Amino acid sequence: MAGFDLLDPGNLAMLIRAALILIVGLLLAPLAGRLVVRGLGQRFSVHHTQLARRLVFYAVLALFLASALRELGFSLAVLMGAAGVLTVAIGFASQTSASNLISGLFLIGERPFEVGDTIQVGGTTGEVLSIDALSVKLRTFDNLYVRIPNESLIKSEVVNLTRFPIRRLDLKLGVAYSEDINRVRDVLLAVAERNPLCLDEPAPLFIFQGFGESALELQLSLWAQRQNFLALRNSVTAEIKAAFDAAGIEIPFPHRTLEASRPFPVTVVPAPPAAD
Amino acid sequence: MSSTTPTAAWWLPRRVPEGQSLGGRIGPLLLDVHRGPGEWQIAFSREDETLASSFARLELRMGGLEAGGGAFDRFILRGPSDRLVLRPLLADRPVVIRPRQPVFLPSGEEITLYMSSPVTVRVEAGEPPVLLRDVPSLAMSDTWFGPSTREGELCYSGRTHARHSLAEVPRRAHRAITPVHIRNEVESPLPLEKVALPVPLLSVYGAADGSLWTENVSLVRTSASDLAALRIGSGPPEYAGAAELISGPREAHGRGSLVRAFSHLFGNGA
Repeated sequence: MAGFDLLDPGNLAMLIRAALILIVGLLLAPLAGRLVVRGLGQRFSVHHTQLARRLVFYAVLALFLASALRELGFSLAVLMGAAGVLTVAIGFASQTSASNLISGLFLIGERPFEVGDTIQVGGTTGEVLSIDALSVKLRTFDNLYVRIPNESLIKSEVVNLTRFPIRRLDLKLGVAYSEDINRVRDVLLAVAERNPLCLDEPAPLFIFQGFGESALELQLSLWAQRQNFLALRNSVTAEIKAAFDAAGIEIPFPHRTLEASRPFPVTVVPAPPAAD
Repeated sequence: MSSTTPTAAWWLPRRVPEGQSLGGRIGPLLLDVHRGPGEWQIAFSREDETLASSFARLELRMGGLEAGGGAFDRFILRGPSDRLVLRPLLADRPVVIRPRQPVFLPSGEEITLYMSSPVTVRVEAGEPPVLLRDVPSLAMSDTWFGPSTREGELCYSGRTHARHSLAEVPRRAHRAITPVHIRNEVESPLPLEKVALPVPLLSVYGAADGSLWTENVSLVRTSASDLAALRIGSGPPEYAGAAELISGPREAHGRGSLVRAFSHLFGNGA
């Protein structure tokens, strides 16, 4: 491009043409994206529609950019070659980004979750806002925006809380050794039957877990619609406490029994005189 | 109206002058609707269905709300209309109902069962009627109906039994009766432990004696799965006499559609 004279009318026209092509591209690319979204409609998931919109947006933009560069006299073959060399250089320089990018492709292929699902990654639980090339964005329940790199999603355990329509709530309970287990079972199952959020089927499950240190350890497993999971946990625990109180069933504190080989020496201290 | 006479057709429109309330019971549901200046107030509470009476009794009285223990909803409604309609409507999800004893339907056999499902009371006021709110007459428990915990449908648990004989079905003001005709066209016997009645597809008809009915429902098992070909009759069943249509179905259904009606997996549960 040596000797490029901006004031030359030919060059100026070329520049204007290239700029016009670029502007048309910038206008058409989002339009094409929106058309794709409208075309796909409700048939595909939000995630796939988002993905298609972005692909179309960047493809249209790249086409117009290439045309604009060609208009300016750049040879596309040279540009591609330069881009290849540049990619290798950038690839080495930005291994993390490249790894995230590849992980993102795997995530898109594997589809362990979709936009709108609630997932748990490490200590973070939140609703998936978007699944992007480098990261996944979550909104946590305390309304924080969390960005999780795709690489760590691929490497770590991800729990999707909203994949299936119903969930099981496992409640661990302990009752005193003096209680009749069958009676406790009947009281617990009656509480489950009365609670409208607790599903009738799959039926509530009562499991005897073992003889604990201070209590008979029990588990009550209840099913609920996933939207009602928290409401069930809050309501049923209060109802179990009330039912135990009404039936006189004891939830014991940890007990310790001390036995000594010899009697403890005990000193009797006289009570202090009353203040008044 | 005497306070001890049951109200037969409780769904008929009424006039509620300002400052007065329409209240009483519809089966286990205790409902009060009060008309204040420029607003309507709704309060309700429920009794245990097994202990509550099965008839409806609604009366107009002076004063405010009695049901609900002080909690009520307010609805601002302009216009001078004093018209109030309490309309029975079926639930928004299928209702799972069991026969009194599990029965098997061998290949080629058919049976008619009578099932009753609780209605929701839709409170509408004004002219033309404006929806204020839906009050289910019974707080039904959720239940899952499907072959696994991944595949299936969320339904309500009916907590009643289907009967073979219509005479055994009690007429209750808050429950609509559906005659369900089931035919097994598959070689293997069909275990009838539970049936999911697709009530969102059914209309409610009211008879002069105050009983509520839905159309006849026919479920034909044509493959060895939990799906059945559903056909819904037109108009009230022949037992209902000259019953009139009170409310249409919540959802439209395609002709010859398949519904998840029979259950296999959780058959032996509570």
